[in-house]
Amino acid sequence: MTKLSTKHLLGIKDLSEQDIQLIFKTADNFKDVINRPIKKVPSLRDITIANLFFENSTRTKLSFELAEKRLSADVVNFSASSSSVKKGETLIDTVNNILAMKVDMVVMRHPNPGACMFLAKHVDARIVNAGDGAHEHPTQALLDAYSIREKLGTVKGKKVVIVGDILHSRVALSNIFCLKKLGAQVMVCGPTTLIPKYISSLGVKVEHDLRKALEWCDVANMLRIQLERQEIKYFPSLREYTMMYGLNKSLLDSLKKEITVMHPGPINRGVEITSDVADSKQSIILQQVENGVAVRMAVLFLLAGRAEN
Amino acid sequence: MKILLKSAKVIDPNGRNNGKKCDILIENGIIKALKPQITSTPDMKVISEKNLHVSPGWFDMQVNFRDPGYEHKEDLHSGAKAAAAGGFTGVALMPSTLPPLHTKSEIEYVKNKTAALITDVYPVGTISHNHEGKELSEMYDMHKSGAVAFSDDKRAIVNAGLLSRALLYSKNFGGLVMTWCSDKDIAGDGKMNEGVASTKLGLKGIPGLAEELMVARNIHLAEYCEAPIHISSVSTAGSVQLIREARAKKLKVSASVNAYSIALDDSLLKDFNSNYKVNPPLRTSKDIAALWKGLADGTISAITSDHAPQDIESKEVEFDYAANGMTGLETMFALANTHRGKMKLEDLIGCISSAPRKVLGLPAVNIKEGAAANLTLFDPDASWTFTEKDIRSKSKNTPLIGKKLKGKVIGVVNKGMLGINMK
Repeated sequence: MTKLSTKHLLGIKDLSEQDIQLIFKTADNFKDVINRPIKKVPSLRDITIANLFFENSTRTKLSFELAEKRLSADVVNFSASSSSVKKGETLIDTVNNILAMKVDMVVMRHPNPGACMFLAKHVDARIVNAGDGAHEHPTQALLDAYSIREKLGTVKGKKVVIVGDILHSRVALSNIFCLKKLGAQVMVCGPTTLIPKYISSLGVKVEHDLRKALEWCDVANMLRIQLERQEIKYFPSLREYTMMYGLNKSLLDSLKKEITVMHPGPINRGVEITSDVADSKQSIILQQVENGVAVRMAVLFLLAGRAEN
Repeated sequence: MKILLKSAKVIDPNGRNNGKKCDILIENGIIKALKPQITSTPDMKVISEKNLHVSPGWFDMQVNFRDPGYEHKEDLHSGAKAAAAGGFTGVALMPSTLPPLHTKSEIEYVKNKTAALITDVYPVGTISHNHEGKELSEMYDMHKSGAVAFSDDKRAIVNAGLLSRALLYSKNFGGLVMTWCSDKDIAGDGKMNEGVASTKLGLKGIPGLAEELMVARNIHLAEYCEAPIHISSVSTAGSVQLIREARAKKLKVSASVNAYSIALDDSLLKDFNSNYKVNPPLRTSKDIAALWKGLADGTISAITSDHAPQDIESKEVEFDYAANGMTGLETMFALANTHRGKMKLEDLIGCISSAPRKVLGLPAVNIKEGAAANLTLFDPDASWTFTEKDIRSKSKNTPLIGKKLKGKVIGVVNKGMLGINMK
């Protein structure tokens, strides 16, 4: 198989296991490429990609832009706060205006769940979802699973716990879909107010005691607490969150086995994880960042390849 | 004008002619004769359709015509056309207009502007002045002017004291209070039903609990005030149970359900199609089964369309920003009929004709010689595909375009007029 089964990357939900494996295989090649002295390949020469960010992002945007540039694509960036767009031009109009300037692919981040699917139905371009509200963040899930595969050899059969704000997290949702498709066991852990009531319907375990969750797992993915995303307070204070769900070195060292620690970034040092955990040899946080570029190159390459046919 | 219905099967559960297959002659708006065989004369408009069924004119007790204020979405005339096309000879109009139907002026405006139409339009006045949920509106004055009931529509009354005063005050003159139930702090900023589907879509959920808390509260208030209350748009299994228990205690609680709530479930939102975004949100198949059970045992008496026209700009946007509501008058019977399962046709017809009239205290309509001809003509077994061409509403916000449905409306007769749907 050399092609994805989908035209767009809107969510992990739409991918088959074969699609994910194809992305990983392609990412392996690109990871070699970006570690060479000359990091650039001509694969997407003459393809124009627009990065549309309707919500703040630093690293995802940077990672996509680097991936695009290393594939020799032409890149344009558009950032706007969603509120200013909401007041004036509609999303469809904004994107069609950009497409009228002959753009082939759109990478979009948007605060509303389903925004990428909505766009895919109304405009004529390949769409890559770079995060839509609390719905999906497929490339993050792919790079997370890819990093687990790299560190532990395989994802299948591994036990992964996702810790933190599951209610507002697209990273959690995409990770659950991706890890389940690859045969991992998944657990979510966090305060009851931040765990969706129906989360176990996705086939994940639910645990509210961090120590028990860590004892169970091979990999702990510590999500960032995104206070900016919570319009209501779901827990009284960061201090209290850290008391119950923060991962520190003494807790990590007291576990029976050596687990792998992940974080999608940016880290609130001292909140989800302490500095000595983030910088420990068990942490693969920077490998995740590196793999992010390779995985995004693979996704863009595979989707653009289909566009040529 | 003389109209002759040939070989029509009468569906009139409470009438003496129920089940008969006969010819019906209507002259000047009155049922002149109802016999096994009536010979047509050239001055008669003859309707002889295959599988012709005739029932007392249908009634939809929850529709929005957006007039005054949002006439680009719907106005009184286009709304009434949609109603007639859907088989309705009577509708109760919700007050969410601009200005709201909250004084005698708006009530009379609606009455006057619709007096000559084939579909009778009964305005519902607001409970609160200016639809603000703070002070009572002039309910008595509106009642005298023709308000058929009172409701704050989809602005649930947060202030329990206000609702209790409305229940007590309207008792003076026999006004009916209808309430739509949703606790805003539990519903939060939800966009769809909270459940498995919302979890997968990352959309904020509205738990059934939001509705049930307020249903329970409103039942308590009605009990305390010893007043009747109507619960509109019931959508959860829990609400059905609360209403069932209240009725078992002989409280004067009635209820209605929207057709989409008994036909469509929340899994349909998987593609973020905003035409499925309604309030109350589409719930689960379990809720649908409980609602049908509630209809079967009389807990819920009426089915409504909750016809809610929206312009394309309000719907073709990101799901979070899309307005709630779907149009429903043209498809209400077919949608309910397609999903009615074991419910008998005549029981379903009762839910959209005699039951809503009874809830609103309107005179009963029967099919018998000498009575006014207020009739709906339909074929309950016809399979058809709903297309844009079937839409009479100004708005097209329905997810049912292109969908196959069972049961088609042939036409309506009311006030001496005949409305026939084109084939």
